[in-house]
Amino acid sequence: MKDKMFGVLQRVGRSFMLPIAILPVAGLLLGIGSSFTNEATLEMYGLTGILGEGTFLRALLLIMNAVGSVIFDNLPILFAVGVAIGMAKKEKEVAALSAVIAYFVMNIAINAMLKLNGEILDTGEIAGHVLEGTIASSCGILTLQMGVFGGVIVGLGVAALHNRFYKIQLPNALSFFGGTRFVPIISTIVYMFVGILMYFVWPQVQNGISALGGLVTGSGYVGTLIFGLIKRALIPFGLHHVFYMPFWHTAVGGTMEVAGQMVQGGQNIFFAQLADAANVAHFSSDATRFFSGEFIFMIFGLPGAALAMYHCAKPEKKKAAGGLLLSAALACMATGITEPIEFSFLFVAPILFVVQVILAGSAYMVAHMLDIAVGLTFSGGFIDLLLFGILQGNEKTSWMLIVPVGIIYFFLYYFIFRYLILKLDLKTPGREDEDVELKLYTKADVQARKDANGNEGRKKDVVSAAIVQGLGGKENISDVDCCATRLRCTVKDKSLVDDKVLRGTGASGVLHKGNGVQIIYGPNVTVIKSDLEEYMEQGESAPRSEEKNMATQGTVISSPITGIAQKLSGVPDEAFAEGMMGDGVFVLPQKETVYAPEDGMVEFVFDTKHAIGFVTDSGVSLLIHVGIDTVKLQGKGFEVFVKTGERVKKGTPLMRINLEYLEKHAPSVATPIVCTQLEEKQQVILRKEGLIEAGQPLFEIAEKERKI
Amino acid sequence: MKSFRYTITDKTGIHARPAGLLVKEARKYKSRIRIKSGEKSVEATGLMAVMSLGIACGQTIEILVEGEDEQMAVAGMEQFFKRNL
Repeated sequence: MKDKMFGVLQRVGRSFMLPIAILPVAGLLLGIGSSFTNEATLEMYGLTGILGEGTFLRALLLIMNAVGSVIFDNLPILFAVGVAIGMAKKEKEVAALSAVIAYFVMNIAINAMLKLNGEILDTGEIAGHVLEGTIASSCGILTLQMGVFGGVIVGLGVAALHNRFYKIQLPNALSFFGGTRFVPIISTIVYMFVGILMYFVWPQVQNGISALGGLVTGSGYVGTLIFGLIKRALIPFGLHHVFYMPFWHTAVGGTMEVAGQMVQGGQNIFFAQLADAANVAHFSSDATRFFSGEFIFMIFGLPGAALAMYHCAKPEKKKAAGGLLLSAALACMATGITEPIEFSFLFVAPILFVVQVILAGSAYMVAHMLDIAVGLTFSGGFIDLLLFGILQGNEKTSWMLIVPVGIIYFFLYYFIFRYLILKLDLKTPGREDEDVELKLYTKADVQARKDANGNEGRKKDVVSAAIVQGLGGKENISDVDCCATRLRCTVKDKSLVDDKVLRGTGASGVLHKGNGVQIIYGPNVTVIKSDLEEYMEQGESAPRSEEKNMATQGTVISSPITGIAQKLSGVPDEAFAEGMMGDGVFVLPQKETVYAPEDGMVEFVFDTKHAIGFVTDSGVSLLIHVGIDTVKLQGKGFEVFVKTGERVKKGTPLMRINLEYLEKHAPSVATPIVCTQLEEKQQVILRKEGLIEAGQPLFEIAEKERKI
Repeated sequence: MKSFRYTITDKTGIHARPAGLLVKEARKYKSRIRIKSGEKSVEATGLMAVMSLGIACGQTIEILVEGEDEQMAVAGMEQFFKRNL
């Protein structure tokens, strides 16, 4: 039950990402538009000549300002549609249409109820006895002020109706209205009643919200601290969007009158004030306390943590760790996306995450105490600081205080992280034990680039294929989606998920909760997601993913056994010699141990132990068949040390053979080693004919045209 | 989708050589051909996959065929099994 709850919350959280993704652009337009139409700014920078009253650029900026505002003004319907799309399982476009309809229907039903009960007069005005701010216009309909909650109620409800009914079959006479067409119909009817219900319920909710909002506002700095701590602590669960959204966009985060309008929610208040900047002396830090502190730890604090981790890395790994940490720090500073840094230590050293939560949480409070009022659209990176702090001027935002506080936080992060890492010997990037790859993605990357064709498609294939494999195969994946930095998947059987394989695809962490799997990549996750979806769709008709040949030209395979290496055509078995099982070579063994030729996985051990299927990490499927007709020995003369599915390093003993016994009882001990999944144009080229030691290069995969 | 069941009569089961023949036969057809043994099912066009089933003498397997030439593929595969396994 708890796991199911988490799964649902996770879906809700990620469905917020689509409408939230528009906010940076809207904020950018609004920020630039309002900054350069602000008389005070223009005078200060001497720009009245080109941007003053009546100029073309000023007109353009005013339009930008209006365009940015319209998005913030209509967030409820954007959330209604966005959430419906996010939560609908299939035929998402129908859910989107239904959400728009349901949103109108619900609000007009509320409007009708308000009119019937005299709260909206026949003249279309709001009656005098109605409490200020409880009725407002949304998409031109005077309705109860529900804020983004109204949109979320519509989005979630419509998605639920949609998932329930989009495949419904109606009696023949009505069949035209069946299936997806039924969804808008049922949504209309249901939301008419929801609207009526809301008329009675919502005023109570409004009271509750304003009480909760009052509690947070009333508890002052402590309230801000608690908000900060909770928000940061929720990051690993990916549930922070669900948590902060009401504070940013609804009355939970406070209500304020701006330019004659009642505005609800911290971010909404900031942007309303920004649009009306001429009449605002200092932006309200009571509104911005839910985000202004982020600049402190995102631009200054976390990069300090990254520097500490870099300085603590082992000398030989500094370069690799430095690249990883530098890119993570830059993303954090510029755009305010913190997951890459946070996840670099969250899993390996949870104690550091506790430090991060406390420091970051306190930063919100410090910003509030210092009356810093810098707005942001999405997160606290430098771009937002520039637009909503620096360009708005220090008088209105007190942004300059961020710098000294930020520097203090930089050193706090740096020294606390450094002390804890060294004292507790935490395995942050560059401090891992020897056999752990720093970042396996680069490995897959390099291999993909080695591909002589150098085509992009192949590279994507490798990553997507590995993700599918790590999630237990295509059949095991029931749902794939993503948020800002992580791939969110739901699987049917969680026991089939292989974290190691998933990490190898470039993930900085893998989280499990019930049947939900979150793989953290970073901001490029949207690309990974669409590649994966494309890959999975293609896989529908193509053979199974793991059957795909991923071997690339130039891949070298070492010998699993010491003996005499020869061309496959000389093997005393027709089927093998003709290459029916695949191209390869054979070795006449002289020693009795068969080793893993490369790092890889034991695909299968045949029941009679004479043959082992092996897939190398470089993607080559190998059949190691010891002796000819040895299937008839029923396992005698073989001793196998590994199991099906076992991952082994190059040089791990796979089995021991009794050479004397085999020579006596089998037609030949010749051991073919063949690649079973080569492409038409590929062939195997024997590196060295004659005596070879186990572990020495045996053959290489080459293109057929390239004759050696 | 068409399918048929077959019980292996070859004493050594489906080891490397018969698996190679089987894969070669299965690749002749456009249809997707799968072999089901117990809980596991694999593509008949993958040698490693077929061998990983470790099908022994006396075991009954199911062959599932799906695609445009499934009529022909089923007939061909059935004949192949009877003749070789």
